[in-house]
Amino acid sequence: MVLEATMICIDNSEWMRNGDYSPCRFQAQADAVNLICGAKTQSNPENTVGILTMAGRGVRVLTTPTTDLGKILACMHDVEMGGEMNMAAGIQVAQLALKHRQNKNQQQRIIVFAGSPVKYDKRVLEVIGKTLKKNSVALDIVNFGEEDGRKPEKLEALLSAVNNNDSSHIVHIPPGPNALSDVLISTPVLNGEGGGSDLPAAAGGNDFDFGVDPNLDPELALALRVSMEEERARQEAAAKRAAEESARQEKVEEPSSNSQDATMVDSADDRASEASGNNTDPVAITLSMQTPGHNDPSVHDVDMSEATHEEEELAIALQMSMKDESDMSKVLEDQSFVSSVLASLPGVDPNDPSVKDLLASLQGQSESEQKKKEDEPPNDEK
Amino acid sequence: MSTESASAIQKSQVDLVDFVDWSGVECLNQNSSHSLPNALKQGYREDDGLNLESDADEQLLIYIPFTQVVKLYSVVVKGPEEEGPKTVKLFSNKEHMGFSNVNEFPPSDTAILSPDNLKEKPVVLKYVKFQNVRSLTIFIEDNQSGSDITKVQKIALFGTTVETTDMKGLKKIEDH
Repeated sequence: MVLEATMICIDNSEWMRNGDYSPCRFQAQADAVNLICGAKTQSNPENTVGILTMAGRGVRVLTTPTTDLGKILACMHDVEMGGEMNMAAGIQVAQLALKHRQNKNQQQRIIVFAGSPVKYDKRVLEVIGKTLKKNSVALDIVNFGEEDGRKPEKLEALLSAVNNNDSSHIVHIPPGPNALSDVLISTPVLNGEGGGSDLPAAAGGNDFDFGVDPNLDPELALALRVSMEEERARQEAAAKRAAEESARQEKVEEPSSNSQDATMVDSADDRASEASGNNTDPVAITLSMQTPGHNDPSVHDVDMSEATHEEEELAIALQMSMKDESDMSKVLEDQSFVSSVLASLPGVDPNDPSVKDLLASLQGQSESEQKKKEDEPPNDEK
Repeated sequence: MSTESASAIQKSQVDLVDFVDWSGVECLNQNSSHSLPNALKQGYREDDGLNLESDADEQLLIYIPFTQVVKLYSVVVKGPEEEGPKTVKLFSNKEHMGFSNVNEFPPSDTAILSPDNLKEKPVVLKYVKFQNVRSLTIFIEDNQSGSDITKVQKIALFGTTVETTDMKGLKKIEDH
């Protein structure tokens, strides 16, 4: 969104007839120019772009910086190839064009397409770079086309002479299957500073936990993360509780219900990891995770009875868990018992700080009840 | 004479830093980590560790617009002995100058700074040239030792504003 006046220096020398970029270098360059003009004018409506050609019969300004995209595209049509590129003169004319821009508040930027060999000395280029830096003009260099040994080195020297605070960039684009403009999309030439533009980020996947970019929507990302953690904690507490219940009943039942709880916890964890790993709809996942939590006993009831063959014992275990909580709290107070149960649950790591906190709080008992109550209201809200 | 001018500064002239339009302040060829506010803003400029430094070469072009029309009386430029500025050209009411056209216009005033000036002795300007100043451009052409980097610790401008001239202040100027 930086307010900028840009001059694009096009290479229309004989070297641009080469076909190593499809259909020919010149056409690829023209597409890239169109792309840049569009991007600049879109990012800020007051941005202006101008074009000049460096080869042909001499440096010629096709348009002075303007906001009119149509005018820019129209003047690209008449460009003819020929001659040799005169980069030094091109940059200096660009600098002059920028100096006389209408809106003096715009930052000055020159984008140079260097497709043919650079015949200047490194020193000459450095002097040019220094003058640009002194007048606070940023420079972007697109190095494509001819690859002679010294060209990248010279262009890098030019860049380092101009570069002030990373506002100038250089891009090397070797010939390949991708179009020049496609490669440019992901470069800082098109995106300015600070990472990708909106288009690639939305199109490609992103690595964020919930498919929501914390930069784009921090509140949503935070809410999703918090609800995920709450759900996980609730699942753990519920799994523990159910484990206590069944353990209290019969030793025989314990292994089965433990395994049952283990599978429950596992499936809960699987769902959690699934949610964090993929780009599937995060909201749906958290909601689906919440619904079992919300109707905690009843859904457990359903799942558990489906999962194992020991239905009756499980039904009893569940009924007990649905019953008075105070019974359970007393059981939970037994620290060693609780830790042993926890250790047996594969999904719960006893060393997990949150689990430790929970254990500590169970000693006082009040917090566990509070937590259950806290979980229920947000559940109710959702 | 110098003591009189110094007292004149104290009595009638104000520090114009309050009337600087910060949104339009520009400095060409400054080093981005040692920038103009270090030399111009209250607080920063008193700190001798914070300097304005030049970047690619030793010249600096500073553009300062004001929120009101002011009359400029004197200027203080403080800098280190070696890399402090030497030749300073002042242009009044010339907007958006560049290094290429500084030499096209005659400056409103030129000052060659002596080491005394660099120790905060004010430079009295040609008052008649600075009666109606909306913006000031300071071009620092070279420095004392001829080194590649010019350092400026403080730039202070003294004068009066046109709209809010204090009548008592006027009287005092007439006194001497």
